[in-house]
Amino acid sequence: MDLNVVGKNIIRVDAYSKVTGKALYPQDIYLEDMVYGKVLRSTKPHGKIKVDITEAEKVKGILKIFTYKDVPKENKYGVVLKDHEVFVSEKVVRIGEPIAFIVGETQEICEEAYEKIIVDYEELNAVFDPIEAMKEDSPIVHGDSNIILHYKLRHGDIEEGKKKCKYIVENIYRSPMVEHAFLQPEAGLSYLEEDGTVVVAVATQYPHYDREEIAINLGLPEEKIKVINTNIGGAFGAREDISVQIHLALAAIVLRRPIKIIFSREESFLAHSKRHPMVMKYKTGADENGFLQYMEAEIIGDSGAHASWAINVLRKAGVHATGPYVIPNVNVDSYAVYTNNPFTGAMRGFGATQVSIAYEQQIDELAVKLGMDPIEIRMKNIFRKGSMTATGQILTDSVPLDKCIEAVDKEFQFSRKLEVESI
Amino acid sequence: MVNISLIVNEKLFEVSVSENLRLIDLLRDELGLIGTKEGCGEGECGACTVIMDGETVNSCLVMAFQANGSNILTIEGMEKEGKIHPIQQAYIDVGAVQCGFCIPGMVLSTKALLDKKPHPSKDEIREGISGNLCRCTGYNKMIYAAEKAIEYMEEGK
Repeated sequence: MDLNVVGKNIIRVDAYSKVTGKALYPQDIYLEDMVYGKVLRSTKPHGKIKVDITEAEKVKGILKIFTYKDVPKENKYGVVLKDHEVFVSEKVVRIGEPIAFIVGETQEICEEAYEKIIVDYEELNAVFDPIEAMKEDSPIVHGDSNIILHYKLRHGDIEEGKKKCKYIVENIYRSPMVEHAFLQPEAGLSYLEEDGTVVVAVATQYPHYDREEIAINLGLPEEKIKVINTNIGGAFGAREDISVQIHLALAAIVLRRPIKIIFSREESFLAHSKRHPMVMKYKTGADENGFLQYMEAEIIGDSGAHASWAINVLRKAGVHATGPYVIPNVNVDSYAVYTNNPFTGAMRGFGATQVSIAYEQQIDELAVKLGMDPIEIRMKNIFRKGSMTATGQILTDSVPLDKCIEAVDKEFQFSRKLEVESI
Repeated sequence: MVNISLIVNEKLFEVSVSENLRLIDLLRDELGLIGTKEGCGEGECGACTVIMDGETVNSCLVMAFQANGSNILTIEGMEKEGKIHPIQQAYIDVGAVQCGFCIPGMVLSTKALLDKKPHPSKDEIREGISGNLCRCTGYNKMIYAAEKAIEYMEEGK
């Protein structure tokens, strides 16, 4: 087959503009007569607030300070569940919630007004551990339960599976919260076109979702909103949720001036999602020949203060819980749980990354118990063409995992018995 | 306000700057050289790297008045008579560019290294770009780019 692209060295279209410094990211765009915005964020993880902007509004050069009262329509947004507020109306649920949007002639003026906004907190008990958050007596972050999702996977019969096992290993694994730290901090501009269409220029992973959210919050038809994707300085999942978009569009419409915002690195850390930390309780068993017969896993993901993609991420963690191994008897329960931590969302791998820490170490421990080469135990159990996954899918197409493991083994000369006496 | 004069990309500028203005703000906001990027504002990421009197500096950590009398090269100055520098060509050709936000600083760090040491070892290349963070590539492609750039410069490309 003659292919035009595959196997050929193709120069990316934007490489020239990027090596010459001509590529425009939102912070690189300057508009005539533009004003600046700054977000005031919560400094407590859980509490009811009262906000006083009267002194801040008096600062010379301040055009307006927006709060929840200024949102024309819905004050809520979110990629799956609408559990973010454009501005906090009553209760903050994490450090970093947007409370007010300060708009002034210069960044310095915004900074000055920022210092004069008074936020009174009536602090509430907070919960930072997802296991604690699942208990009946836990502080509640939203609604009446902290459990956002319970995904169940049932395959075969685990009691039968256990009987066939010579060895069962049982461990708890914990993976940490991770920050994407893309290199270009969030920034954006908004302005009105002559016919009143509001334009938002931003580096985003979802211009179409952003437009929908802006329309719902501002009560505008979608065709009156344009979201322009500039160059994107890295994203890795952290630009899937709204950051600057709604605040900018609101200010541009109300003030009829072009407006720009640039987050500092610190604010970027506060504002966007993180990778879900997970607590993974695993039991995995193999028979005397090294064939996996049984696995049980309970996976608890800390969604922090907002759901973002938690439902999808913890479902994916559950689906991928066996790793690329055929196991005939499997129970998986995965949970996404609200806490008052920074919210978590999409990040490279989307829930499939964390569980690999658990299932691969389980296999290694079984190899030690069986006195078996860690490559050999994997080759016995991996998915191949025709294998059935724990979700019941028959893999009918290309499954070249055996070739991959062989190549890695050869390059790393890894194949050997693990010389660990006890773990 | 302080009056300063400095050369940027072979052009003399005489400007009046406030005492708290950073070099990066002078370059971007006053001179319109937006190829210099701000990633962290505290000298960690190297996105704002420029070459000042032959040495790389984080332009977010240099005050504008400190640049008085200096000779500065930014990414915009790498192009000569409409032709990009062999280092830039090498970055394009080996696929070292992804999101691009680190690239201006990375290219300038590569230039400062090769100006001083035309035939660096792999380790010296790694050290030369060690002040520049990239979150996309894993750095190998930048090392290949530096090696390719050395070839291009020898060929007189």
